[in-house]
Amino acid sequence: MSTQAPEVLSPTTGESMATVGRRNTLALWLLIVADAAGTIALLISYTYLWSLNVNGGWAPPGAKLTAVETNNDIPKHMQGSFAPEWPFWAILGIVILSTAAMWWAYRSGKAGFQTALVTGSVLSLLLMLAALIGQWVQISTFPFGPSDGAYASAVIVLCASNIFHMLIVIFLLTGMVNRSRRGLINQQNHYQAQATTYYMTWVSISVLLGALVTTFFVVSPNTDPAVFGSFKQMSSSSAEVSPAPSSSPSATPSASPSDKASGKASDKAASPSPSAS
Amino acid sequence: MTTDVTASAPTGASAIVFGAEVAQPPQHGKPGGIMRHLNFGTGLLTGIVMAAVAGWVTAALTPTSASNATFAPDEPEYVYLAVLIGWVIGFMLGMGAFVGPIRWLLGRDITHADAEYMAGKDLGVRRYFKFTTDHKVVGIQYLVVVMVILGFGGILAMLIRTELGVTWAEVFSPTFYNSIIGTHGIAMIIGMIVVMSGPVGNFIVPMMIGARDMAFPRLNALSLWLLVAAVVCLVSSMFVGGIQDGWSVYYPLAAQAPPGMLGYQLTIIVFAVSTAIASVNLMTTILTMRAKGMTWSRTPILVYGTFAASLMGLYAFPFFQYSQILGLTDRIWNTVFFNPVEGGSVWLYENLFWLLGHPEVYVILIPSMAVALEIMPVFLRRPLFSFNFAVAGIVGVVALSGLVWAHHMYMTGWAPAVNYPFMLSTEMISIPVGFLVLVAIGTFWRSTVWTRLPLMAIYAVVFNKMIGGVTGVYLSDVPADQYFHGSMFVVAHFHYMLMGAGLFGAMGGIAFFFPKMTGRILDERLGSIGLWTAFAGFQITFGSMFVAGLQGQPRRVLQFDDMFNISNWISTIGAYVIGLGMLIFLAAIVHSWRSGEIASSNPWGSKSLEWQTPTPVPLENFAVLPVVTERPYNYGVPDPYEAEMDKKDGDLTTVGQVGPR
Repeated sequence: MSTQAPEVLSPTTGESMATVGRRNTLALWLLIVADAAGTIALLISYTYLWSLNVNGGWAPPGAKLTAVETNNDIPKHMQGSFAPEWPFWAILGIVILSTAAMWWAYRSGKAGFQTALVTGSVLSLLLMLAALIGQWVQISTFPFGPSDGAYASAVIVLCASNIFHMLIVIFLLTGMVNRSRRGLINQQNHYQAQATTYYMTWVSISVLLGALVTTFFVVSPNTDPAVFGSFKQMSSSSAEVSPAPSSSPSATPSASPSDKASGKASDKAASPSPSAS
Repeated sequence: MTTDVTASAPTGASAIVFGAEVAQPPQHGKPGGIMRHLNFGTGLLTGIVMAAVAGWVTAALTPTSASNATFAPDEPEYVYLAVLIGWVIGFMLGMGAFVGPIRWLLGRDITHADAEYMAGKDLGVRRYFKFTTDHKVVGIQYLVVVMVILGFGGILAMLIRTELGVTWAEVFSPTFYNSIIGTHGIAMIIGMIVVMSGPVGNFIVPMMIGARDMAFPRLNALSLWLLVAAVVCLVSSMFVGGIQDGWSVYYPLAAQAPPGMLGYQLTIIVFAVSTAIASVNLMTTILTMRAKGMTWSRTPILVYGTFAASLMGLYAFPFFQYSQILGLTDRIWNTVFFNPVEGGSVWLYENLFWLLGHPEVYVILIPSMAVALEIMPVFLRRPLFSFNFAVAGIVGVVALSGLVWAHHMYMTGWAPAVNYPFMLSTEMISIPVGFLVLVAIGTFWRSTVWTRLPLMAIYAVVFNKMIGGVTGVYLSDVPADQYFHGSMFVVAHFHYMLMGAGLFGAMGGIAFFFPKMTGRILDERLGSIGLWTAFAGFQITFGSMFVAGLQGQPRRVLQFDDMFNISNWISTIGAYVIGLGMLIFLAAIVHSWRSGEIASSNPWGSKSLEWQTPTPVPLENFAVLPVVTERPYNYGVPDPYEAEMDKKDGDLTTVGQVGPR
């Protein structure tokens, strides 16, 4: 099947598809750099908040630290409050299987096995759809909401990032299935399959990094965080809204503690926000 | 044109593309397909309709008292966010940004005829109002968009100075004043980031390296129109409370800000996507499409500068983008990333923000310095003083740019132990920046000066850059920064860097490349008057601001002690002078574009490739791709070192020549 075929040229530029393919692959790696920087920003956010445990607010309610605990030793009384670990790894497993299927499809297509290319693409798409559903189910069954502390926020946003990546991959794989079925991706012109495979490999790494931090950085090492109290939000409809500041700062008296505590309420009163009217 | 579609049947068609017969995919309908019907008007219409629908649906679905976040958003916030998202998606849909991906998905590949239509072939002026892919059209579109952004930011600057100059009265309310401060800041930052890489990077760089277009023409158009969509979000924020927390929107102020903050956040999120796409496109073009023979030692310094800025934007912008994504989820989704009471941290925000915030300074500065170094050999008729030092300077800046961010946080109390390492890295970065200034000064040394408008701008750049650089060294110093931090001294410093070096460099670049971009010479008399008027106003404004800062006037404060009055009066007068100068320069651009002197294809006698093309530049740039046989700045008597390097390259040919690929 690996017979030498005539060179395929790009219909728009007249260049060799191999040249175009190499260029596309380079661009993909550069896009992955940008994507990876975003993922690193999320991981930094997770680990930063994990390490500080600001105001004792890392763990979800019901899982506040009572003694010195190590990362990998979650006490029983806290286990119900953090996310179970196995779904992260299960989803990662499905993503890796999907990526492997696409690798197989790509290598097969490159070797001239068109049927395997189509089959592998379909299989990869189905697995990625399963991973997406799994990710969605995981988010919707977390024992906490996004406002239940820094851990909850960070985990949910990491999972949302996974969903974002999976949606991109599903778009690409849908195109792969359709295009390989039509013969637009084939032995001579396999570069889009290659790029999709590379991107999926990065997505697998991204999901892996998420699984690693959510498994090994669970209980904050900072067992004695600085605690500076609580804050009661006053809604804008509260009867105790502090006076609106004067339009002239020179006429504004110094802020009282209640002014400071009222936060947004007083701010909104001075702003042209529709809610203030 | 080099194309001849020899058949139009659904299958088996072929086209002659740059001399080669190429099989074509089936042509569905007329070339361009649905893109024939899409333009800026349909983009606006679709954007407005989708914004209205999204806002209406959200208002209907959102409970009236949806306020359960710590700093609670109310129903209008959800509606405003939906309106913004609806606008961005609708506008891009109406422009035709999704046509390419959908066609790819459906397997309806683009033919050469489609590509030519989308590049604006035979569309006349209409191509400037469409999702046109030709890099030259995109460059012009960028130029116009950037001028609008900078004009908008400049008007806000005038309002700020008016408030600060009229010390006997309060012109604006404190909240509106804060709003124009924040909006001016981010509008100018966005404008300055794209002022060189947009118009010059898109129009000039592909020709400068001997390419026919950018690597990804459709991504090129996408990056431009995403920028337009983002800027509309920014402007809209002024109508819903504005951005009242400065351009850096520190927390917790940002959490308590009015809904205008959503406009800021979505602007940055969309702009970061635009920047990433543009960066990838420029870098890929430079890495893979340089002409035959254009080794790295023969690559013009402007190409290095553009590449470096793209690289820094590529790795740094996502941090800024994610800082805004997390801020958005805090606001809308009740997460707590930047809410210390619930376990978040404002320092996390500051770190993420400045991880871009400082490299961004170099994203602005490096292209500006590079265009200065590109212009100088042409008007001094000699090679760069040291090409290798210039490259080393750019590489050094890129390498260190990611290691200096925390100098913005000396006074925040975050990790005092790392203040001194960051002080060291910040002071170290002045070394590669110094390389660039020294190369500029060295190139001037004992040269024959042909003073034209572009070179005049470079005088201004070198002067301002030195003042901005030296004052920056003081600010990088932890003990000195304790006094200067948050004062007008800082404001004056970064304006010397970003405006004094960045914007004046851009003015020089525009004056230099204007003949190639428009086919006309920029009016030298009017342009020079505008340039020097703005320069004089600049020194008055920010020189006086240094004095106010040294006296201790805090920045971003509406009212201040009487002791600062004189400095502020002078600054305000200077700002009006800048405004006058910029208006004159703008008038020179508009007048010259409409009826200026017709330019020859190479009015400056430059040796780089973009000037070897005809003017106006044909769609394919080069009839035959060029072959580069010498270094880009071999003017006059060859530099002995450069000649030695040419020997090592095994080539002493002195004339660049074009030939078949």
